[in-house]
Amino acid sequence: MKLISRTEELILLAVLRLQEDAYCVPIFDYLNGVTGKKWTLGTIYGPLYRLEQNGYLASFLGSPSAERGGKSKRFYKVTPKGLRALQEIKRLQDLSWDGLTGPVVDET
Amino acid sequence: MMKQPIKRPPRIATWILKSILPFHAASHGPGDYEEIYHRMAQQEGAFKAQCWYGSQVCRSILPFLVNSIYWRVAMFKNYLKIAVRNIMKHRAYSFINIFGLALGMSVCILIVGYILDELSFDRYHTKADRIYRLGLNGSLAGNDLIAPISNAPTAPALCAEFSEIENTVRFGGMPQAVVTYQNLQFTEDGVLFADNSVFDIFTFTLLRGDAKSALMTAYSVVITEDVAVKYFGDVDPVGKTLIFNNQDEYTVTGVMENVHAHSHLTFDMLCSFETYYAKNRRAMEGWVPFNYYTYVLLQEDADYKELEKKLPMFVEKTMGPTFQAMGATLALFLQPLTRIHLHSNLEYDTDNSDIGYVYIFSAIAVFILFIGCINFMNLATARSVNRAKEVGIRKVLGSGRGQLIKQFMGESMMTSFVSLMSAVLLVHLAVPLFRSVTGREFSLHFSDFPWLIPGYFLLALIVGLVAGSYPAFFLSAFKPVRILQRFSGKTGSHHFRNILVVIQFAISIILIIGTGMITRQLVFMKNRGLGFDKEHVVVLPIRNSRIPGSLDTFKEELKRSNSVMSVAASSHVPGQAPFVESVFPEGYPEGQSVLIRDLDADCDFIPTMGMEMIAGRNFSREFSTDSEESIIINETAAQRLGWDDPIGKKIYVFDPNVRSAKTIIGVFRDFHMVSLHKVIESMYINNQNDRLRLLSIRIREGNLQETLTFLEEKWKEAEPNRPFDYYFLDESFDSHYRTEEKLSTIFSYFTAFTLLVACLGLFGLASFTAEQRTKEIGIRKALGSSIVGILFLLIKEFTKWVVVANIVAWPLAYFALHRWLQHFAYRTDMSLWMFLLSGALALLIALLTVGYQAVKAAQANPVMSLRYE
Repeated sequence: MKLISRTEELILLAVLRLQEDAYCVPIFDYLNGVTGKKWTLGTIYGPLYRLEQNGYLASFLGSPSAERGGKSKRFYKVTPKGLRALQEIKRLQDLSWDGLTGPVVDET
Repeated sequence: MMKQPIKRPPRIATWILKSILPFHAASHGPGDYEEIYHRMAQQEGAFKAQCWYGSQVCRSILPFLVNSIYWRVAMFKNYLKIAVRNIMKHRAYSFINIFGLALGMSVCILIVGYILDELSFDRYHTKADRIYRLGLNGSLAGNDLIAPISNAPTAPALCAEFSEIENTVRFGGMPQAVVTYQNLQFTEDGVLFADNSVFDIFTFTLLRGDAKSALMTAYSVVITEDVAVKYFGDVDPVGKTLIFNNQDEYTVTGVMENVHAHSHLTFDMLCSFETYYAKNRRAMEGWVPFNYYTYVLLQEDADYKELEKKLPMFVEKTMGPTFQAMGATLALFLQPLTRIHLHSNLEYDTDNSDIGYVYIFSAIAVFILFIGCINFMNLATARSVNRAKEVGIRKVLGSGRGQLIKQFMGESMMTSFVSLMSAVLLVHLAVPLFRSVTGREFSLHFSDFPWLIPGYFLLALIVGLVAGSYPAFFLSAFKPVRILQRFSGKTGSHHFRNILVVIQFAISIILIIGTGMITRQLVFMKNRGLGFDKEHVVVLPIRNSRIPGSLDTFKEELKRSNSVMSVAASSHVPGQAPFVESVFPEGYPEGQSVLIRDLDADCDFIPTMGMEMIAGRNFSREFSTDSEESIIINETAAQRLGWDDPIGKKIYVFDPNVRSAKTIIGVFRDFHMVSLHKVIESMYINNQNDRLRLLSIRIREGNLQETLTFLEEKWKEAEPNRPFDYYFLDESFDSHYRTEEKLSTIFSYFTAFTLLVACLGLFGLASFTAEQRTKEIGIRKALGSSIVGILFLLIKEFTKWVVVANIVAWPLAYFALHRWLQHFAYRTDMSLWMFLLSGALALLIALLTVGYQAVKAAQANPVMSLRYE
């Protein structure tokens, strides 16, 4: 299985956490909050699209609202393939860190 | 929930956002941005929200640009590479394309240069847009005259009457003057008189002398640099004295820059207008002689149309009564200075150009360029068979139609820019030739026209677009499935290609017919019986010399040589229009006059010119009363006056005080006093000898040089103080046809170019078809077809379209030429054989072009052509 990138991983996790409310704005807020950096919305569209194209995410359009200037929301949902990809990442992560001691681990 | 209306984010930012968002985010992206915007606006204020929104947009632009430019450059490099490969692979076709376009472009550039040159006339005067020339529209006894002439008192009167007129200047001409400085003597043609205000109104820069006073006093003259060098060399001419016509002494008060080549007014010397007053003040104060040109300078905000409306009142108030008494009407009008060169072609006008020629040349430029483009389109679509597979593969590999269009456009742009470079080179080579043909000193230097370079690029861009658009859309529309199946070989819309060939040849044929007709009219004008014999006549100007005083002796002196056949003196010679005189014929109602041209000549004029009397007799020395009381008239005048037998009738020559009666003693056959542009007008010849200023000498053929030497010797004996100047009657008469001559030369060049480009295209198309049909020809030959049969097959395909082109071209050429011929009072007919011949010529050239390819294809051994299967 191909590995997904860090940004993609973050976004997948965000979608997973947000559950029913997973559309761009909360994802964006989540990313801002968790990384402490100021993202631009533009940077998350690319990964979202790629994830969807590769089948890690599924999306559907919600209903439009006035405060969005008449535009609808696009909600995302992690697919089983997406879940597997996350698990794979997690496994790899754990494996890579397991048993590692020294300055890297101590500081965190 | 908030109740106040929702404030939308700034519209421009939203627009930018929408255009840079990736397509997959287009449906929901803007909504996301707006939602956050509203949240921030509520929590942190509208300003912060706007800042955020703006910064989001800005931060998204850069990655977007980098991304898109990266891919564009990559694709562009690919297009370029394919284009270069294609051009190099098909050298012959590329040559035809590039050569055709380059020729078209260079003709276009040259013509644009010519037109710019024409349009730049008189614009170098800094006040050009405020200068107007005064013209008159008058009639006297049913004869209308529209001319840019005026009388002397009008200018000061106008200046005093209208506050919107800032200044006026009058010009007067001197036909010819012999100017002497110490032992230097020249005949000067370009002598004008002008008010001192000329330096205020026009941008004629004085290099020496004071522009405020140079022409204030009588007998002062301002000369141009060239003239200054001619007479004075390095010496400062200011203060020196020039003697005009051996009598008047003029003081040089200034030296001015040579008159700009782009000026409708041309002169070498400007004498002060005041001189006229010093010579004859009374004559200058009268309303009658209209001998001058008046220019007015309007105030910055004045409207000349408004001023024109007030002019009838002005005429009424000033000269109206005088003209009413004469039975004449008169109206004044204004001509903008910058329109004179191209739009003014009045009586007594300066030697101007014609806007019509600007239009004709522009049309030709566009035609030639278009023919070059057609070549490109035709060859590109014809070769589409070969390109089709490429298109198919590209489409299968995911290339969109837009990308294919871009690719083909890239190729045509490439060709177009290579053509442009060749064209610029060609233009540089051709400029001297074009200058000599048009007789214009125009430049196409970047320093003069800084926008020329962007102009060139624009030209190449337009040509690339026009030439490339059809092939691009045509080729990119191929269906890959159809192409990649066993290729049938039948592609391309033959109809469109054929229409283009028809257009090409129709244009060529129109130009051939045009060239033919112009030449024919020219030959017609030069060879038509003029009613007199213009060959072998030498004309000597004798005005301001001693010769008129001892005319008879001088004539006898000349006749001693047996190479001189006869000598006649006159006020004008054919080619020059004599003045119009108002006469009162006998038996007409009181006060009714007839306008008639008045030529003064002695009794030898009719025989010397080879003219013919048809009734009565010529003047004769034996009748002493002839010089005072007799006139002879031409046929037209005889008809106009309406008498059954005009001999013996009297007419009274107009003179406000005394009426001198003249008896008609003869009628001479009509002859063309002026060029064939004009109808023959009624004219009489007067035997008075006080206005004779030209000597016409009919000489025997051969030994021209000897005869001229003899004439010069005699001249020096009789008039040692004046240079020996002469001209030939036929040359001076034919100089009226110089415009037509120029047109004919230019037309033949252009026609040759057009034909060349069109034939190149046809050649390319024919060679391609022959190549394409190799197999077909092979099979036909194998099945027993003869070479002639195949030749016929191939030639027919193209020549039939040339025949169709003829049918299209003929009516168009007919209408265009019919209009052009209206310029001439006497014109040749447009006979059918001209059209047939032109058509046949085009057909022949097309046949030769196609023939080569056809013969090659027809002779090919079928074994060779069928083997490659």
